[in-house]
Amino acid sequence: MPGKLRKSSPLKNSDRPYLALGLEGSANKLGAGIIKHAGDGSSSVLSNVRHTYITPPGEGFQPKDTATHHREWAMKVIEDCLDQADVSMHDLDCICFTKGPGMGAPLQSVALVARTLSLLFDKPLVGVNHCVGHIEMGREITGAQNPVVLYVSGGNTQVIAYSRQCYRIFGETLDIAVGNCLDRFARVIGLPNDPSPGYNIEQEAKKGKRLLPLPYATKGMDISLSGILSCVEAYTYDKAFRPNPILADLEVENVITPADLCFSLQETVFAMLVEITERAMAHIGSKEVLIVGGVGCNERLQEMMDVMAQERGGQVFATDERFCIDNGIMIAQAGLLSYRMGFRTPLVKTTCTQRFRTDQVHIAWRA
Amino acid sequence: MSASQNLIDSALFISQGAEAASIFLLPVIFSPDNDIDSIGQKVYKAQLTSNSSPILLKHRFQKQYRHPTLDASLTRSRIAGEARTLLRCLRAGVNVPGIRMVDATNGVLGIQWIEGESVRKLLPGEAEGEDNEEVDLLQEYGISIDEIMNLVGTEIAKMHKADVIHGDLTTSNMMIRPIKSSQAELILIDFGLAFQSTLTEDKAVDLYVLERAFLSTHPDSEPMFASVLAAYEQRMGNDWAAIKSRLDDVRLRGRKRSMVG
Repeated sequence: MPGKLRKSSPLKNSDRPYLALGLEGSANKLGAGIIKHAGDGSSSVLSNVRHTYITPPGEGFQPKDTATHHREWAMKVIEDCLDQADVSMHDLDCICFTKGPGMGAPLQSVALVARTLSLLFDKPLVGVNHCVGHIEMGREITGAQNPVVLYVSGGNTQVIAYSRQCYRIFGETLDIAVGNCLDRFARVIGLPNDPSPGYNIEQEAKKGKRLLPLPYATKGMDISLSGILSCVEAYTYDKAFRPNPILADLEVENVITPADLCFSLQETVFAMLVEITERAMAHIGSKEVLIVGGVGCNERLQEMMDVMAQERGGQVFATDERFCIDNGIMIAQAGLLSYRMGFRTPLVKTTCTQRFRTDQVHIAWRA
Repeated sequence: MSASQNLIDSALFISQGAEAASIFLLPVIFSPDNDIDSIGQKVYKAQLTSNSSPILLKHRFQKQYRHPTLDASLTRSRIAGEARTLLRCLRAGVNVPGIRMVDATNGVLGIQWIEGESVRKLLPGEAEGEDNEEVDLLQEYGISIDEIMNLVGTEIAKMHKADVIHGDLTTSNMMIRPIKSSQAELILIDFGLAFQSTLTEDKAVDLYVLERAFLSTHPDSEPMFASVLAAYEQRMGNDWAAIKSRLDDVRLRGRKRSMVG
């Protein structure tokens, strides 16, 4: 628990630089990145390449098509990654890949690439938990020591705190993830998926003015989001809803625009997230918050979290889209940390799993 | 300026939890970090008149991060809800603090001041390596961990029988009040997220929230929580079977959810 005397880190400074390749493909982003841990304990990002599978407006990404995308792009992305880092496959210490959680087919296609590379170049494999990858990269980039972590993405919504070599989940969503909620609403009102539905919701919300009442569902430190999605969707069937408002509409009092709905959805859902994060901070007595995951690049969420942290005399750490959105470098970072603690994934164990909780991982590298 | 604000100004500040802020007019009994209010309010100790007994003021100050309209409606409904559920508990004989004043518009609730210590402080795994002190506290209160767990289970069962769902059951939200020449009693506090419900689902979720709080705050506390459930079962009688099976479902739910993406 925070407040305890800091024990010395079990991770010893290395005698030589270490290099790791990280491969990520648990959802619609295919990422490859190379990280270097220098002998003095510092680490540097040598390259971080990503290619996103973008579907037309109104459509989500299907596992099968996403896996096809990953297979088509794997060679290109990894070549670019090696070129930018200016290293050869032979220089690597290990190859890290996402073991889970995520969509089955995309995970498998990337694991297959990792296995092939491992056998071709005779490099050990390290299977990484996607969520732990996010947390470790966030800590590395921001320098946050022992924060409460809010992990918000298309597939995950968790409030996490570290205790006794484990990232414990204090609160989480009871149904759908917050990114899923936003993405699905983007589909309802036909916002494009390029660059990402969440980004387009954020831009649309800036134009919104009316706060429409939506359910506010916090249960202790958990939240529930599916009802809010149904409710905000129901507003699009309201007689006052104007899918394409013209100027004259905006002068009428009770008109509901897509922008208003995006605004209301963000305000309500983010207030819930900030509230459960605050509750976790109060409960364990921490002053730092780290926001990771794709929704973490939403500036409105960062802003609200910042106001809350300041009210408590604390601090918020957040990263930009390079590290917030799924990427290969975070897998390399978390994988290399466990590699340096002696962890390897033997070939027969390099399977993937769609369900792999954050708290199932033994965090050997932290005191 | 409202009367509630005057009261707050005259009182002594104790702590800031996650949501509301409390006032102290009297000598400080709790040091500021001693009393963490988990739902975000400022907590003060105050007196309504100069010779009345002290009360605890909870002020849900305006949350700047939240949209003002949303914040105002949440504050109003939570203060009113808290008062309403406290009253219901009092009528049903659940040990909760008595109500002294309610000002929902300004987000102020005044309740009876409880002299005692939170269960969280009494259980191992909390204090920072000060194991001796814990033992002393338990001795001072004349109560064993087992007895505390028993009280926790019984009190929650009494509350659930009155169809009140606490919504934020943690070991910080339970106080042990020593009584002279008798066993100490357990008081449930912080009903800021409480609501009324007869549903098995809500009662099971309530227990699940507590279970998670136990495991995350007190390492190796599985046996402790088991005895909480045992006492709960005894008190609930016939209702227990349904809640038990729903609790098993709820436990799976978090697990199932977490890993997509």
